[in-house]
Amino acid sequence: MAVLEIKNLHVSIEGKEILKGVNLTMKTGEIHAIMGPNGTGKSTLSAAIMGHPTYEVTEGEVLLDGENILEMEVDERARAGLFLAVQYPSEIAGITNAEFMRAAINSRRDDDNKMGVMEFIKKLDEKMDLLDMPEEMAERYLNEGFSGGEKKRNEILQLLMIEPTFAILDEIDSGLDIDALQVVSKGVNEMRGDNFGSLIITHYQRLLNYITPDVVHIMMDGHVVKTGGAELAQQLEAEGYKGLMEELGIEYNVEEHE
Amino acid sequence: MVTKEKQYVEYADALTAFSKGLGEPEWMTQLRLDSLDKIDELDLPVIERLRYNRWPLWQVPDLTGAPAQKAIDITEFIDDKADAARVVQAGNESVIETLPESLKEKGVIFTDIKTALKEYPDLVKEAYMQQAVKADKNKVTAFHAAFMNSGLFLYVPKNVVVEEPLEAIFIQNSLVEDSFIKHVLIYADVNSNFNYVEKFLTAGQEKNAANILVEVVAKQGAQVKFSAVDQLGEQTTTYFNRAGHTFRDASIDWALGVMNNGSTIADFDTNLVGDGSQSHLKAVAISSGKQTQVIDSNVVSYGSHTIGNIFQHGVILDRATLTFNGIGHIIKGAKGSDAQQESRVLMLSDKARGDANPILLIDEYEVTAGHAASVGRVDPEEMYYLMSRGIAKSEAERLVIRGFLGSVISAIPLKSIRDELVETIERKLTSR
Repeated sequence: MAVLEIKNLHVSIEGKEILKGVNLTMKTGEIHAIMGPNGTGKSTLSAAIMGHPTYEVTEGEVLLDGENILEMEVDERARAGLFLAVQYPSEIAGITNAEFMRAAINSRRDDDNKMGVMEFIKKLDEKMDLLDMPEEMAERYLNEGFSGGEKKRNEILQLLMIEPTFAILDEIDSGLDIDALQVVSKGVNEMRGDNFGSLIITHYQRLLNYITPDVVHIMMDGHVVKTGGAELAQQLEAEGYKGLMEELGIEYNVEEHE
Repeated sequence: MVTKEKQYVEYADALTAFSKGLGEPEWMTQLRLDSLDKIDELDLPVIERLRYNRWPLWQVPDLTGAPAQKAIDITEFIDDKADAARVVQAGNESVIETLPESLKEKGVIFTDIKTALKEYPDLVKEAYMQQAVKADKNKVTAFHAAFMNSGLFLYVPKNVVVEEPLEAIFIQNSLVEDSFIKHVLIYADVNSNFNYVEKFLTAGQEKNAANILVEVVAKQGAQVKFSAVDQLGEQTTTYFNRAGHTFRDASIDWALGVMNNGSTIADFDTNLVGDGSQSHLKAVAISSGKQTQVIDSNVVSYGSHTIGNIFQHGVILDRATLTFNGIGHIIKGAKGSDAQQESRVLMLSDKARGDANPILLIDEYEVTAGHAASVGRVDPEEMYYLMSRGIAKSEAERLVIRGFLGSVISAIPLKSIRDELVETIERKLTSR
């Protein structure tokens, strides 16, 4: 079993503090959801864990099995077992999707143990099939000209190919129609098991109808303000953030949702 | 640069003896001497964004006709492909010339220029510095015409289609001090159709000048697919002129890898003279170390309904300089013509200097033209994304570069050239 611990994490962007002391612990075998209004720092949390260069950690630790990953480079964090699926992945011309994924897989392997082409293609076919992705998407350039839905499926495809220990899904559900949402959920549920943990960041309870979380965290103004079970997401859906704030006695100006 | 008045004329006797020694036809000797007279009065070609009047390009070659003091071991440079249509030249001499019987029977000529001047003087005369480039075009061409010391002649007769690529490998001999003044003449007769591939390499570390002129003359309806990988040495200063001339409905497609290690002017000119003729030029380039490479791609539409495209991507490492000039010129009268170009430069270091300079000169209405150009650095978001999947920084950078050049490379028809370019790029990137 692996453990990811976020301890008193403070993060700033261009001098402005966004995360003001986040605490959260998750283990493999668990699916956690983070919900919260816009601008509360959910995406900042995911980017800071992965190591995006524009996010500055000013205080706190992120421990993966006791080791502080904040001291690692982005690629080292990934190889240590972290994965971040994002809403707007980069488009890179000239590199095929397949070539990219094979490079990613083999970056985790020793020189004498690289994944062969046949083994790779077999696995890729299987996972693309699961996600209803046409074969030609493997040979297309990485995310180039992909629709929003295709990009998100492609993020999940990478998740299935790379098989990380912990996956953070940052608003992977936004802008997806119900069919795409089901496909994406199917991909995440496929990964579910004792050796996998996931932190799902979402605005809406909708995704959690398909991926039932073990733990739900509510984030507001740079803090985790409440943690509970799957029923917390439903309560939130019924009462809105306003109701929850009243219950917690928090005064925070919620930005309008899009 | 030596600026002494009329200095070149002093070489007239030596040049005559050199030409006679090679058994060249009278017209060739005369062309050399006429050109020699003009070197001083002619101007250097203007290359946008480059001053090169101090470049050491003007070293007169050895005219004694004696063999080089040190010979190249060609096995270091080529692999054995016994039955390929191939010419290999080490320094100024052809060391391998193979051409399948079936092609000889069809009248294909693929041999060194000295042999061609002896055996097919009239055919060479029809095309040699007559159409694609005139000897008195500028100082560089006149110097070339006077002092040309080796080369290749390829002739593909009327209606002949050659499936397998014709391959030429030129290894500059820089084990000795001597200028490399190579002439490649490709004469594609009416409706011929073939692939030609050439490679330029350097053996040795002597500081030498190279003045290379490649001419492609495509007669009516001829289709020439031309590919090249240029890898001249670090100590070689090069003026590399490739020039094409198309007759009606002919096409010349250039796929060029400009991967030299020394300072280089790559001057690629295609004149679309015949109506309905076309040229598509694709170039990839890498500059590294302290070198300067300037790629000046120029397509001029004279004929109506001609199509001239330029598509070039380059990468700069270290303290190097890389400039792309793209010049699309539609002359008055070339109605219905199309000139498109894209030049992009990716800089991988803070010390790199890059430039992409699109120029469209349109003297006719009823034409279409467009350009795109950019100079930039590797997008940090792209790097972050690749690295967030576990790919190490150096590998991620390689992927981005390969991707960037790959959009040009993948448009090159010959797989062997694509592979060779990818290998060369890998080597340049890993040797950083």
